[in-house]
Amino acid sequence: MAKIERAQKLFLKSLKEKFAGDIAGTKTGYYNFDNLNQSARKKEFIAAGKKIEAKRGVSMYDPYRCHLGGLPMGQRQLMTYEISGTGTFVEGDDLHFVNNPAMQQMWDDIRRTVIVGMDLAHNTLQKRLGKEITPETISEYLHIVNHAMPGAAVVQEHMVETHPSVVDDCYVKVFTGDSELADSIEKQFVLDINKLFPAKQAEALQAEVGKALWQAIHIPTIVSRTCDGGTTSRWSAMQIGMSFITAYRMCAGEAAVADLSYAAKHAGVIQMANHLPARRARGPNEPGGIIFGDFSDMIQANRKYPNDPCRASLEQVAAGAMLFDQIWLGSYMSGGVGFTQYATAAYTDNILDEFTYYGMDYIKDKYKVDWQNPNTKDKIKPTQDIVNDIGTEVTLNGMEQYEQFPTMLEDHFGGSQRASVLAAAAGLTASIATGNSNAGLNSWYLSMLLHKDGWSRLGFFGYDLQDQCGSTNSLSFRSDEGCIGEFRGPNYPNYAMNVGHQGEYAAIAGSAHWGRGDAFALSPLIKITFADPSLPFDFSEPRKMFAKGALREFEAAGERTLLMPAK
Amino acid sequence: MAYTPQYGPGTSVVSENRRKQMNPKLAFEKMRDVNDSDIVLLLGHRAPGSAYPTAHPPLAEQGEPDCPIRKIVAPTGGAAAGDRVRYIQLVDSMQNAPCHPYQRTYVECYRYRGIDPGTLSGRQIVECRERDLEKISEDLINTNLFDPARTSLRGATVHGHSLRLAEDGMMFDMLQRCVLDGGTVKYVKNQIGEPLDKKVDVGKMMDDAWLKANTTIFHSLVGTPFRDDAEYIEYVQRIHSLRTKYGFMPVE
Repeated sequence: MAKIERAQKLFLKSLKEKFAGDIAGTKTGYYNFDNLNQSARKKEFIAAGKKIEAKRGVSMYDPYRCHLGGLPMGQRQLMTYEISGTGTFVEGDDLHFVNNPAMQQMWDDIRRTVIVGMDLAHNTLQKRLGKEITPETISEYLHIVNHAMPGAAVVQEHMVETHPSVVDDCYVKVFTGDSELADSIEKQFVLDINKLFPAKQAEALQAEVGKALWQAIHIPTIVSRTCDGGTTSRWSAMQIGMSFITAYRMCAGEAAVADLSYAAKHAGVIQMANHLPARRARGPNEPGGIIFGDFSDMIQANRKYPNDPCRASLEQVAAGAMLFDQIWLGSYMSGGVGFTQYATAAYTDNILDEFTYYGMDYIKDKYKVDWQNPNTKDKIKPTQDIVNDIGTEVTLNGMEQYEQFPTMLEDHFGGSQRASVLAAAAGLTASIATGNSNAGLNSWYLSMLLHKDGWSRLGFFGYDLQDQCGSTNSLSFRSDEGCIGEFRGPNYPNYAMNVGHQGEYAAIAGSAHWGRGDAFALSPLIKITFADPSLPFDFSEPRKMFAKGALREFEAAGERTLLMPAK
Repeated sequence: MAYTPQYGPGTSVVSENRRKQMNPKLAFEKMRDVNDSDIVLLLGHRAPGSAYPTAHPPLAEQGEPDCPIRKIVAPTGGAAAGDRVRYIQLVDSMQNAPCHPYQRTYVECYRYRGIDPGTLSGRQIVECRERDLEKISEDLINTNLFDPARTSLRGATVHGHSLRLAEDGMMFDMLQRCVLDGGTVKYVKNQIGEPLDKKVDVGKMMDDAWLKANTTIFHSLVGTPFRDDAEYIEYVQRIHSLRTKYGFMPVE
């Protein structure tokens, strides 16, 4: 390894905006910031808490009494954060998923989605019942299913139905690799691969999907929120069955209906997440069951930025940190509220961005990887020596940046924040350079060991346990010890415990493919489904969406204000 | 052949300092003299002079089972007396504090018995029987493992290890448990943040030159760059490579 020069430091603007004075200085003033009054958001919380207390007669938000027995936060500067790559500065509180509707919607849009094949059902209808299937009948079915899926009746008399305005985010579209078939179905129902993806990616996706016809189904946000992810395939299958009955004039009780149900509920359904073992007690379509390769395909930044695998990976880190750290581990699993502070380090203030783009410069300079022209030809052979070289240089550079800019060390004031960021930069760089996700993981674990020995500190007990034993499992493929990166997931042994890893691991799996210029990482079906511009959350720009949420400009689905007294 | 501990690799002053601190054959350098009573005040577990609260009767009185391990391992003083298990937790500034979390844990594991250290990024806790703890705490506070400004006792609300120093050279502590007062650092609160009836003077802060020469952290701005210790980096890479290869194909 050898340090290379990189004049552009992406974090400088953020640090200058956040911290007054010399951002490279080692000393500053404290205890004079007027504690919580320095933060507009905290002041808003205090005012809101008082109002609520007066209304309900039970005390609530009261930091001047409850925080450290009367000493509120804000003895140092309560920093704002720039959401990386957006130029938008927000308060940390605005990045808690409870305060950010865009974050909620990202998860809602995943949880309420299933992909269901139509070919099994069409076979049943054609071969068993002798029905004719044509583009016209498919379009008619799609009309009916888009009426029924949100919760409207199609067969029976005198049925209750859902109000369209509270389920307006629910719909069904279809996609196929067969351009002729796609062109013959009503446009409003078709995810047009040619229009949504760059030509090379579209070609690869169409070849993978072939002549099969798939439904991308999004049940109402309000339903999956009230029930759970396991509801999605059930709700969807019920409406699919009723729609087939209507569209093809079937008998509601005939035995063939069971075939359609079986196809929609089991044989032809792709869940977004596997169900988890009993000790974690979650059904399908809950975050712990999303394998990293599939998550890589939910995030669409490689479609939008095909010539910047680094940007594509950083967007995925942000989305993964939010979903796996803030929502999955932070709330589902631990029940805490503090995980946001750890997780946001990976997608704020352009720090991980700078470290990773340094890695891009390094692999271009030393290994001649033309990372801005992603391809399979110039990938480096993932030998141990090369992974060690890349992982070491990227980690040392990051550590030196923290040292040279004490305000950056102050920004990432917890060791686990720094560990995630340093190791992510090392892992993403090795992954993009080699096109091999396990090489990326291996680089991550080397980074952790270097960090621990260089600074004699790492994360915290639970955080770095997996990192201190991670080298050993990074290239193991024995059951219960290792796996290809794309098939690992949040419930993978050792990964199921703590914050600041899973979003980054997921991005390391994805980045191996974005570095190769692949159209998808693991599932072409999921990649196409989440390219849909009708989804409330834009999966090609997670960070921009989070910024919109923080600025209170994002309109989430599943609103029920229509059904309540106006305020 | 008997194993001879090497206490870690490296050719830099940081590596050498780490080895010196870990090696139990080398005595710590005595730097200050905070007395027993003041250490008890700082810890905040019992009042100075009061009896040690116990978790169980003295081992000699409670009828130990016939156990071969108990015959091999002599209990520490605190264990023999039945003391409670209590803690000291120290926060180490990344700006050249003399000791750092993992280093502190290694030091304690090489030098003390009957301890339970926990290692985080800014702080390190060690738990043990109370009278044993007070003895260990004397070492941790009165020797070259400690700097009054950049090492600090903090039971909770530990935030500060990676922040810039305050203008007076002190590490940030939102509870301001200790303050620079008349040229020396004085604790006005115990480690958990309860106000003390009397200030406990832990002496003058060490100067930058001493800290740079005695620290155990690599730091490219205020100390020794990690990159400059090639032997150390090669060692970490070697450990990582061996672990990786064994995980892939677990054969000798």
